Amino acid sequence: MAIYVLRKLAFFVGAVFVASLAIFLLIRAAGGNVAAIVLGKDATAEAINALAHTYGLDKPLPVQYFDWLFGMLQGQLGQSFRTKEFVADLVTDRLSISIPLALSGLILGLIIAIPVGTYAARNVGKPSGAVLALLSQIGIAVPVFWAGILLSVLFGVRLGWLPTGGWIDWSESPIGAIRSLVLPVLSLGLIMGSVLIRYVRSAVLDVMNQDYVRTARAVGMTRTQALLSVGLRNAALPIVTIVGLQIAELIGGTVIIEMVFSLPGLSRMILANVAAREVIVVQSTVMLIIIFVIFVNFVVDLLYGILDPRIRNAA
Amino acid sequence: MKSVNKLTRQIGAIAAAVMLVAASGGAMAASPRAAENKVVLIARQDPGTLDYVTSGLTALRLWIPANVVEPLVYFNKDGSVEPGVAESWTISDDKLTYEFKIRKATFSDGTPVTVEDVIYSLNTMKASPVVNNSSAYNAVTAIEKVDDSTVKVTLSQPSQNFWHGMGSVAGLIQPEHAAASIATNPIGTGPYVLKAYTTNSTFEFEANPSYWGTKPAITAATVRIVTDGTAGLNALEAGEVDAVPVITIDLWEQLTKRELDKKFTLLTYPQIGEPTYAVFNQKLDPELRQALAETLDRQSFNDAFGAAWGAENTCTFALPNQPWYSPESAESCPYPYNYESAMAKASKWASTPLEYASLSDVPDLSLPADIMIPAMQGAGFNVTRNAIDLARYSQLIFQGRPPQFDITVMSGDAEPTQWACPTADKAGWSTYCSQPYTDALAAADAAPSDEAYLAKMKEAADILRKDAVIVPLIAKKGVGLFDPALKGFLEPRVLVAIEIGKLHW
Repeated sequence: MAIYVLRKLAFFVGAVFVASLAIFLLIRAAGGNVAAIVLGKDATAEAINALAHTYGLDKPLPVQYFDWLFGMLQGQLGQSFRTKEFVADLVTDRLSISIPLALSGLILGLIIAIPVGTYAARNVGKPSGAVLALLSQIGIAVPVFWAGILLSVLFGVRLGWLPTGGWIDWSESPIGAIRSLVLPVLSLGLIMGSVLIRYVRSAVLDVMNQDYVRTARAVGMTRTQALLSVGLRNAALPIVTIVGLQIAELIGGTVIIEMVFSLPGLSRMILANVAAREVIVVQSTVMLIIIFVIFVNFVVDLLYGILDPRIRNAA
Repeated sequence: MKSVNKLTRQIGAIAAAVMLVAASGGAMAASPRAAENKVVLIARQDPGTLDYVTSGLTALRLWIPANVVEPLVYFNKDGSVEPGVAESWTISDDKLTYEFKIRKATFSDGTPVTVEDVIYSLNTMKASPVVNNSSAYNAVTAIEKVDDSTVKVTLSQPSQNFWHGMGSVAGLIQPEHAAASIATNPIGTGPYVLKAYTTNSTFEFEANPSYWGTKPAITAATVRIVTDGTAGLNALEAGEVDAVPVITIDLWEQLTKRELDKKFTLLTYPQIGEPTYAVFNQKLDPELRQALAETLDRQSFNDAFGAAWGAENTCTFALPNQPWYSPESAESCPYPYNYESAMAKASKWASTPLEYASLSDVPDLSLPADIMIPAMQGAGFNVTRNAIDLARYSQLIFQGRPPQFDITVMSGDAEPTQWACPTADKAGWSTYCSQPYTDALAAADAAPSDEAYLAKMKEAADILRKDAVIVPLIAKKGVGLFDPALKGFLEPRVLVAIEIGKLHW
């Protein structure tokens, strides 16, 4: 097990280094200059160059890269060129929105997907199973922004039960913050649940046809007992993989939801700073997300080893 | 099974009731903020910085000038001039010397306004990298302290731009000691203090307790930054916000379809409007530019935005509040829409490749491109589209020398001096340079009277029309929706600034 963990850790460090280089080069390949955006269309080249110089953007690329990388290794994520705010502060503020949004959306998705997917698998070939499969397909096809706008119009505009958007900080009112998150979480959770239903259904179907489940039935267990006692652990493996991928997509991928509901979350911050070519903010924030994603995959790999001794022993 | 059916029926009944209530709509309730004299407004864009010295972003200029930071004077719509930070002023007969008497007031941080602060502010704007700020000082030769309450500005020649600049962003007064924090916390003498600014979220304003003027009726204002236009209108309709003062053209059709113009007070005002105009690279043959201009059916652009009340067809680079403006007419359009003529001329240029640079992330501008490009291609011009985002557009088009486009469409402020070029290397982003145009503008700036100024500005506008480089399409007005009980909206006096202090319930 120790060797397994060490190998994964080495991969983790290598992946982070390669990702840092990719991020650094990609944002610069997009072209554009934050100084030009700040000064506007009528700015002279001299003014832009002068401002870019104060931002350090005229240094050679390797210098810029290593300055940034070494800063990150020392825990210094840098500052916004325009406002001088520290990236660490910007990210921390937004995580208080993005993490509850993402986690709640995922949990809601799982709460929907596991029982519904399992029921659909148990009733495959029957009308109820087919209806659930169809609903799941519709859910996958519905764009998340459309679902968000519909929910906002129904529960916000027409019924007035919940805010149509905006954010009330936790420190100002925890209840207000929760209310701000209800519709976004619902939008996210419904779509995510639809996606996960398919995987749960497929995983449970696959397990139900295995010999060990048939053996469990043969010794007297009901179908549900067999599924719960011997089936679910095996069905969990692909579901854990998908959940790991979904977590990665959620953190930094909720930009549409954040825009529809005017939440000042992490995704929206990244998008705004990409548009403004705030390279340090984008690089540092995206690196944090990449590190998080690689860490999540690392945990998923470890979970595999825990769930399935065969994987652990093979490693 | 029976309990499942019963549960299913109960869920169905509840859902039906919800739908009925939802469909019924309801009368608009009074704003809960009226009783507290508070207001919540919507902004579509986040400026990212509040440094109005180094940034010309409209998103910033909407909220900081006139609310937090004030200019020396205010120019009213009727042409009168009102004191700002300067409580009085004298202008020499030759218009070469201005003396401003600075009022006894304090900045919102409690420090007194000094002549040194005023001199610092004017010098800072004189050196501003934003041309709209610094160009007001082109004729200024000296900014001096006369005594502890008087500043003297000396000009090398009369300048209308300087005088009007003192009522605009170029004349904003800040304390020198707080200049370092201007990007996040600008300080001024205005009726409001910026209590907090969270990027992509909100501005929070509170009434300035040390404001020198009439205390504003609105004691606190929140400006919510809602980039999705539909979400902003939803918030207004739900009663969560009290006004959307700036509604961009991509949402105009929704205003009428959702009958928001009937539920709320719809205001149109030109100051925040923008001309939308095609730009043909000056390097193109003049005949080619004229032929391309003939493919532009202005009414089709207007129709595409679906709100004729908010935009007017025009061939003049100006807005309706500018006296040299003319709507589309035979007299004011040297190259009116004439598709047959354009097709006949296009055959001469069929082998000339033309690149159309299109801003992909600005709906106001990608929509005109969707109309313009097929029209030009249909007429026989060899036009290809290059869709890019603002940052890339800024690099290639605004900063590119030469600019990397043959045709593009832009929308922005109607400041005619942006096309002036004292020398070719000082030409703006389109590199349009016309000596007669520049001379006409210079003569207007130095005009001794308003009548002479207007005559020269009309002459300049006519030169711009005939050159067919900057080709206006429509003049969009500023459009806003306000809670019917929220009154007092004043058309912007300091460039595009929305004056929260004039609002009241």
